[in-house]
Amino acid sequence: MTEVQVSPEVAGYTEVHRHPEPKSFIWKYIFSIDHKVIGIQYLLLAMVAVFVGMGLSLLVRLRLVWPAEPIPLLGWLFPVGAPDGVMTPEFYLAMLTMHGTVMVFMVLTTAPQGGFGNYFLPIQIGAADMAFPRLNMLSFWTTFVSFVLLMAAFLVEGGAPMSGWTGYPPLSAVPEATVQGLGQDLWVASIAVFCIASLLAALNFIVTTLDLRAKGLTMMRMPLTCWTWFVTAILGLLAFGVLLAAGVLLLMDRNVGTSFFVPGGLVVSDKQIDHSGGSPILWQHLFWFFGHPEVYIAILPGMGVTSHILSTFARKTVFGYKAMVYAVGAIGILGFVVWGHHMFVSGMSPYSAFVFSILTMCIGVPSAIKTFNWIGTMWGGKIRFTSPMLYSIGFVSLFVSGGISGIFLGQPTIDLFFHDTYFVVAHFHLIMGVAAIFAMFAGLTFWFPKMFGRWMDERLSKIHFWMTFVGVYAIFGPMHYLGLLPHPRRYAEITSVDYLMATGAEGLHTFITWAAILTITAQFLFLFNFVRSLIRGAPCKEDNPWEATTLEWAIPTPPPHDNFGGKVPHVHRGAYDFSLKGAKRDFAMQCNDDKAVFGEASGD
Amino acid sequence: MTPATLAANNQPPATEAGGGDFLTEPPVTEGDWGKRPSDDRVVQRYLLGTWVGIGGILMFFAALTSAMIVRHGLASDWEPFAVPPVLYVSTLVLMLSSATVAKARSELLSGSLAGLRRWINFSACLGLAFLAGQILGWQQLAGRGIYVASNPASSFYYLLTAGHGLHLLGGIAALGYIWARVRGIRPWPTRRAAIEAMALYWHFMDVLWIYILGLLVFWR
Repeated sequence: MTEVQVSPEVAGYTEVHRHPEPKSFIWKYIFSIDHKVIGIQYLLLAMVAVFVGMGLSLLVRLRLVWPAEPIPLLGWLFPVGAPDGVMTPEFYLAMLTMHGTVMVFMVLTTAPQGGFGNYFLPIQIGAADMAFPRLNMLSFWTTFVSFVLLMAAFLVEGGAPMSGWTGYPPLSAVPEATVQGLGQDLWVASIAVFCIASLLAALNFIVTTLDLRAKGLTMMRMPLTCWTWFVTAILGLLAFGVLLAAGVLLLMDRNVGTSFFVPGGLVVSDKQIDHSGGSPILWQHLFWFFGHPEVYIAILPGMGVTSHILSTFARKTVFGYKAMVYAVGAIGILGFVVWGHHMFVSGMSPYSAFVFSILTMCIGVPSAIKTFNWIGTMWGGKIRFTSPMLYSIGFVSLFVSGGISGIFLGQPTIDLFFHDTYFVVAHFHLIMGVAAIFAMFAGLTFWFPKMFGRWMDERLSKIHFWMTFVGVYAIFGPMHYLGLLPHPRRYAEITSVDYLMATGAEGLHTFITWAAILTITAQFLFLFNFVRSLIRGAPCKEDNPWEATTLEWAIPTPPPHDNFGGKVPHVHRGAYDFSLKGAKRDFAMQCNDDKAVFGEASGD
Repeated sequence: MTPATLAANNQPPATEAGGGDFLTEPPVTEGDWGKRPSDDRVVQRYLLGTWVGIGGILMFFAALTSAMIVRHGLASDWEPFAVPPVLYVSTLVLMLSSATVAKARSELLSGSLAGLRRWINFSACLGLAFLAGQILGWQQLAGRGIYVASNPASSFYYLLTAGHGLHLLGGIAALGYIWARVRGIRPWPTRRAAIEAMALYWHFMDVLWIYILGLLVFWR
């Protein structure tokens, strides 16, 4: 075992026993129980998934704008869904469904939590690994199985499911409704397996945070990243079990002949469906009881990363650290009592809708606290405009833009009009999709040197940032206007919808599609930057190149097998001690004691 | 401040790869029954993990319960039926198994390897007997012409019993794992933690079953 030098920054440490490093390729890189390797595995899985999901969104955009144009190779790939390269409307819906599912589950849920959380939670709290390393490995490989099941849905007869990422019955529950068998079954099975993986991971995150913190690291000294990973894990623990239950019921409806979700007297294609008495609304309740917390599962880690990075590059402590923690907690709790706002048009009692609406508005309060504090953190700071900082500021912008439209949608009366229009598409893409993705870019560019010992190309990152930032606003900004028309979602083409053609929707769609093509091009620039930096990026030899404060910057770059080499630093202060009065430097690391920060002369 | 460096030969010997305790302790030896100070921390972590897991499982069954209540309220096609009497016998068996698991744990704490394995054997047999009782219950229902898809009441009956049975099967697997590792020659640093966690999980399975039985009997 190689000896790890204790960083000169560390004032006092606890010795713990070390674990041998696995030698063989399989145990080191495939079935590794090292949280860092597992984190990278999650990130790579998410990266494959995000490019798949992006490709699907491109198909969706192309079908909308040029419904009759053949696309090269597509006819060869999908002879049924796209004969001669021209996509059928059913194929459009299938691509839409798979885009949503891949993005929500395999990207937004895995990368921020499974990827960055796995890699940095143990290091930031001073642990050698997660609480249950083998369980961690099991979580990743279960997630992988889920991804394979989902991809398999493309390959089976009848093709990928087309009931939307929300899988509403009876479309998802009655095979006759979509002339699909196995594809939809694989979709439900994939989601169910994903639930199990996420539950195991959530358990691990919670116990790790509560039990493995270094000496001196109280909960209220934790970096906000750790807080958000912790709260996200609690949300996952409480939400995924419900989706799992719903998935099991749906599978039974499809394959065993039960009637949980399929109503009686349903007629599909002049054929009476042999089910009775079930309720599609029941699925909606179960699904959204999971689905709304899921939104926060996707975005909370992004908030944590953003707070972390804004503070680091503004050289200021997080404005209102405690308020940030409480806001995260409040968002987590409120996230469980607002699922009904997805169902305002389901025929619910207006009184229920009123309650759900009020509770939804309440989430605006902690969200506004967070936004205010992000701006407060930057206010008067000595801002360093590095690429992670740009992505984080981009996150704040997108979070505000996407959040504002949420206030509209949270009103039952306004939602009656906007429901299932492009307004909703614009809203959730900005706040859940793009904002979270920007936080991932921020995290990746921020931690890349620590993880891989090389720098990403700063100039390429900045070009990528500006192209993507402009691109996503060009895509989703005009969609708000489409929603006002109102332009319904999920239409494969609008050429025969007179009122849409008359109001100029077609031109906007063309503009949006070109904006999407620009944005997608930028992502290949990012991929190029990522891969090239891995191989030939400028080496980063320093422990703490960003002059940051948390524990991951007090260990060698890249981190050794056991993180701290068996000597876990003691923590002496909160996570964001920047620009302290009287300090020798403009930052004080968590492992610095007062003597190190203020010099020999200072007392307490 | 000078860089603090310790010589490599001062390192304590590494034992278990991951999952072990994080304090400096010599490796466990036979006859050392998890009474080292570091063991308490590991036990605490495993118990915490089990409690958190119980939270997740509770949400799964809470979702099924709410689905059942909603479906019951909607339905004109709900046909109540009496649960098969064998369920009351298997309930007693499961409660007995909770007692034997508790006994196994106390054998561990008093340091008796043979006693631990004996009571683990008993517990596993009782667990399997309970599952056999559940299968018998399904057969009795099928004999009365009540199948999974017959009506929502029967659907939930099969679903809840099967869901609980699968979770209990996990508990039996844990018993088997502990049985095998206690037999093994290699010292096992987390054995007390594993057994404490298994015992807690097993008692939870017991409580969960009584809840499900109550639901099936009283919410017809």
